[in-house]
Amino acid sequence: MSRILADIVAFGKQYTRSGISMFFAFAFPIILILIFGAIFTGSGDVKIAMHVQDLDEGPFSEAYMGILRNITVIDLTVIPSDADFYEYFESEDLNVAVMIPGDFSAQIGLALTGNSSAAGTVLVYGDPSTTSYTTVTEIIDFTLTNMSQALTSTTPVVGFRTEIPENLGGLTFMDFFLPGIVGLVVMTNTLYTITSICAEYKTRSYFKLLATTRLRKHEWLLSKFMFYTVLLVASMLLTFAVGQAAFDMTSTLTPLAFVFIAAGAFLFLSMGMLLGSIVRDPESAAAVANAVGFPMMFLSGIFFELESMPGYIQAISKVFPLTYFNDGLRATMIEGDMNTALVNLGIVAVMGLVFFVLGSKVMSWKER
Amino acid sequence: MSDDIVRVEELKKYYPPDIKAVDGVSFSIPSKQIFSLLGPNGAGKTTIVEILEGLRTPTSGTATVFGVDVHKDYDSIRKRVGILPQNFEPFDLLKPPEAVEYWARLYDMKVSKSEVSSLMDRVGLADRKSSMSKKLSGGEKRRLGIALAVVNEPELLFLDEPTTGLDPKARRDLWKLIDEIRRKGTTVLLTTHYLDEAEKLADDVAIMLKGKVITRGSPEELISRHGKTTVVVLVGAGKEGLSEISRRGISATEEDGDVLVPVADPAQMRIVLAKLASIELNVKDMYTRKQSLEDVFLNVVGSKMDEGVLAK
Repeated sequence: MSRILADIVAFGKQYTRSGISMFFAFAFPIILILIFGAIFTGSGDVKIAMHVQDLDEGPFSEAYMGILRNITVIDLTVIPSDADFYEYFESEDLNVAVMIPGDFSAQIGLALTGNSSAAGTVLVYGDPSTTSYTTVTEIIDFTLTNMSQALTSTTPVVGFRTEIPENLGGLTFMDFFLPGIVGLVVMTNTLYTITSICAEYKTRSYFKLLATTRLRKHEWLLSKFMFYTVLLVASMLLTFAVGQAAFDMTSTLTPLAFVFIAAGAFLFLSMGMLLGSIVRDPESAAAVANAVGFPMMFLSGIFFELESMPGYIQAISKVFPLTYFNDGLRATMIEGDMNTALVNLGIVAVMGLVFFVLGSKVMSWKER
Repeated sequence: MSDDIVRVEELKKYYPPDIKAVDGVSFSIPSKQIFSLLGPNGAGKTTIVEILEGLRTPTSGTATVFGVDVHKDYDSIRKRVGILPQNFEPFDLLKPPEAVEYWARLYDMKVSKSEVSSLMDRVGLADRKSSMSKKLSGGEKRRLGIALAVVNEPELLFLDEPTTGLDPKARRDLWKLIDEIRRKGTTVLLTTHYLDEAEKLADDVAIMLKGKVITRGSPEELISRHGKTTVVVLVGAGKEGLSEISRRGISATEEDGDVLVPVADPAQMRIVLAKLASIELNVKDMYTRKQSLEDVFLNVVGSKMDEGVLAK
């Protein structure tokens, strides 16, 4: 028994001294539960934003508005009936909005009297590549189906149609997802790898060894930057090709997307260089890279739209460089919005420069 | 003008609050010699080597290589120096020839396949060309380290504890390789805590302790200066043997069951042997042993050294 106890103690010491084991055992689940808890519960304040304009203001439209108001997860905003629906959509920068047309009640009335070609039809207008569009569409479909069944058990008397803004024609959720995946790949391949490489090179004295050759620090960094830029461009091309073949995506691979890859590689390599220079060993490097990378992964709009998250998470996301990378890449690949793309590219480049300067100062190949 | 390749004068390296890693060391290394810094762990050997490699800044004193102050202008001599650092580990996922080609490129050299192949033969890795470096044995890894260190055909080679942790055969194989390198005319600065290694390889040895050089000379000079005598070893004579010998007025000591009889003057050897032969002793074997650096170290430092650690 004493041998078993001794072994438990010895193993326990080694285990708790390993940064990576401790990270995955304790920090990782806590980070996940905090992130997903915040996203999906948000202390009860997460609601689905729904902007609805009632041009009818008749008995059936008001009844339908009542149904929507009674759904607690919906944060209903009424678009004034005298506002131009499409201008409002643009000016409020919405992903989705709903319009109840002026003849909604009249059409239902006709349908209830036997006119089989009549039906009250709600318009769902927005960007189908976003998750909020998908969610709102599902809610509208569900509520209208229930309303129709409540009015008559025979032919449906209400329904909905969808309309997509002209500049977003043919986009799907996968189009939204692709830039996020590219961003994720850029971050994980550079940040995680270079953090652990720096720590390993330090621990195994490779930096000291390299310092004795003619290779300079900036040349070493440049070689990593060039390698990862080429690697990640190849990865993006492959991901894009697979996405197009499998999901019929319509997003575009613009020249600016390639510039984003280079800027992203520079940014996350610089971040990794800084982290890797601070940590003591490769095990700690993995833990630190995970501690920085995981929150970015989930809170930078890769998997979930930031608009659907609580305000404080949206505020936190503004700190993460990956948010600007994703926003910029989406702007150029999906929306064709050059201005937004360039602003985000600028932010990514400046952040990269800051991390590069800090990392260069902290990273030393020689002994003091 | 001196033909010294390395010259170190009053070199000091202090760390706060009061650690004197190197404390006023001076030495020089003439061309085409193997100079060994010998001492236990923490004596300051690696610190000196790393200062000479341009990796550390000295607190005071000067360190010149090829007449150049390494602290000010190491770049100008970089190509003339080869380095095998302490605890060298190769890049795991490079094959030995790939590592050699890579290293040559870092010295702005381009080596042909046949040159790489010849170097692999020279360091005894010809049959390990296709293995990933992580699959090499400890001795093979050091051989690869030496291949990288000599790929730029250096005039001066720093070998920082090249055989530490290796088995006896791997150590002897490396000694052969180092000796070959010296015979080709390369000057070598070798740090080690193995006394037999320094004795076997070095033309000149500086014994270091606590940041200072406490004695210096060729192994023969050191033995003659500090090694007091030749010793007659009576294997297995034990305490009883010691008592018998002492009773006859012969000075002796006991060590690990053997009795050691020092003979200060070689001319006295016959007389001592005759005296010992006249005593009834239960011995398994008897032989004479010349003093070695190990004895010198014991005499100078007052303690034995095992794997770089001083015995208490």
